[in-house]
Amino acid sequence: MKRIVVSWAVLGAAALLVAFAPFNLQPVTSNVERIFRVEAGDFAYSPAVLHVNPGDNVTIKLVATDVVHGLYVDGYDLSVIAEPGQPAVLSFTADRPGTFRLRCSVTCGALHPFMTGKLKVGTNLLLWRGIGLALLAFLGILTLRSPGLPIVH
Amino acid sequence: MNEKSARILAAVFLLGGLAALGISWRLGQADAVILHARMPEAGGWTPADLTVAAGQPLRLRLTSDDVMHGFAIGQSDQPAVDVEPGKVTNLTVIFDKPGTYTFYCTRWCGPNHWRMRGAIIVTGERVEQPVTPPLYAQLGLDIDARREAQTIPAGKPSTQRSAEIFAQFLLPSAQSYLSPGYYRSRSPEQVWQDLRDDPHWVHYSDLQLWDAVAYIWQANTTPEALAEARSLYARNCAACHGESGGGDGVFIGGQVQVQGEAHGFPPGYETVLPTDFTDPRHLLAVSPAHLQGKIIRGGMGTGMPMWGVIFTEEQTWALVSYLYTFQFEEVP
Repeated sequence: MKRIVVSWAVLGAAALLVAFAPFNLQPVTSNVERIFRVEAGDFAYSPAVLHVNPGDNVTIKLVATDVVHGLYVDGYDLSVIAEPGQPAVLSFTADRPGTFRLRCSVTCGALHPFMTGKLKVGTNLLLWRGIGLALLAFLGILTLRSPGLPIVH
Repeated sequence: MNEKSARILAAVFLLGGLAALGISWRLGQADAVILHARMPEAGGWTPADLTVAAGQPLRLRLTSDDVMHGFAIGQSDQPAVDVEPGKVTNLTVIFDKPGTYTFYCTRWCGPNHWRMRGAIIVTGERVEQPVTPPLYAQLGLDIDARREAQTIPAGKPSTQRSAEIFAQFLLPSAQSYLSPGYYRSRSPEQVWQDLRDDPHWVHYSDLQLWDAVAYIWQANTTPEALAEARSLYARNCAACHGESGGGDGVFIGGQVQVQGEAHGFPPGYETVLPTDFTDPRHLLAVSPAHLQGKIIRGGMGTGMPMWGVIFTEEQTWALVSYLYTFQFEEVP
């Protein structure tokens, strides 16, 4: 019985640590200018994945190569529209770490819903925390399962 | 008895309410035209022809059946509106003068976006006005002839280099060079040759004369016109001709093969690339009237659309003068 209480306490503490500990894995950078030229065409962005560090000043030049396209950055709630011949520029400071979905903000054709990309600001801590919690849960299953329960084959 | 009258009352209210809804819906819909926008490959505007009497409001309910489109009316100040799938854009326009107007799509919706046009026929008492043909037609220019400049400047002509030469333009003998009639009907190369042959200008170097040519161009335009033309160019021309005028716009890879004499393509086809405005051999050989003709009439068998029904005359001349900024040093 005591063993179970200790296991709960240890696992709970570990879970809290994994979920909320202020890991400081991010390289300390500040105000580095990151300039991307993103071509939008054929229902895809090229490049589709943008890596920056937290605190960087990001400038995205969106160039539409076939029809009018847009770029919406989830989490930052920013958007911009570019037409062929009229590139649009989106500038912002990447002050929210994490991985955010980029999506086309203009209905551009049949495959418009699949026109996506990613903005990666630093390490994707959310993902690693999620993986950590999942492992803890698995560990919990192993250590806390009721003893003596028959395993039915 | 009481129950019967209550039933009748309820029925009256119900029917009355329905009738009121129907009537108000009818009134709201009265004479509104539902205009569907589709990519040109799928049919373009439906209906493509609208008729309205002069002075009467034309109520439009615009919606898109596929992608984002825009709606604007050629040669009018009516600002463009977006037409999005799943939404209805209400727009009311009134035409004062009878005639035929062109409406067109303002968002690049597909490779044939520029074919997405329709007509609004405005009926009414037509006041016959003498029609002046555009300058290129008056001059009888063959705007399809290939022209190549024999003389080109060693550097980019500039109106900023030497002030001394421009004092020449104050002389009465040089006034005629600055007139719009002269500037519009001659190519920069011809202007340069005229100056070279003029005994008043004999002391000046070739490049100085090119500077004078640039001065004549600048005297015939304004910074406001150039600024307007810059935005017109970005919206309508840059996709093919390139933002920097190099004929290298984003559509260059997707140029549609067109009918014509050819080499390297099956008989009957050739690919006509957009004109490179940064090539002095081309641009200095053509007059403003020639460029005006190209813009108004289009490329005839190339991918160049006709803009005559969309740009006003002032906008066309502004665009023409803007094109020369790819050859001449810009006005600061």
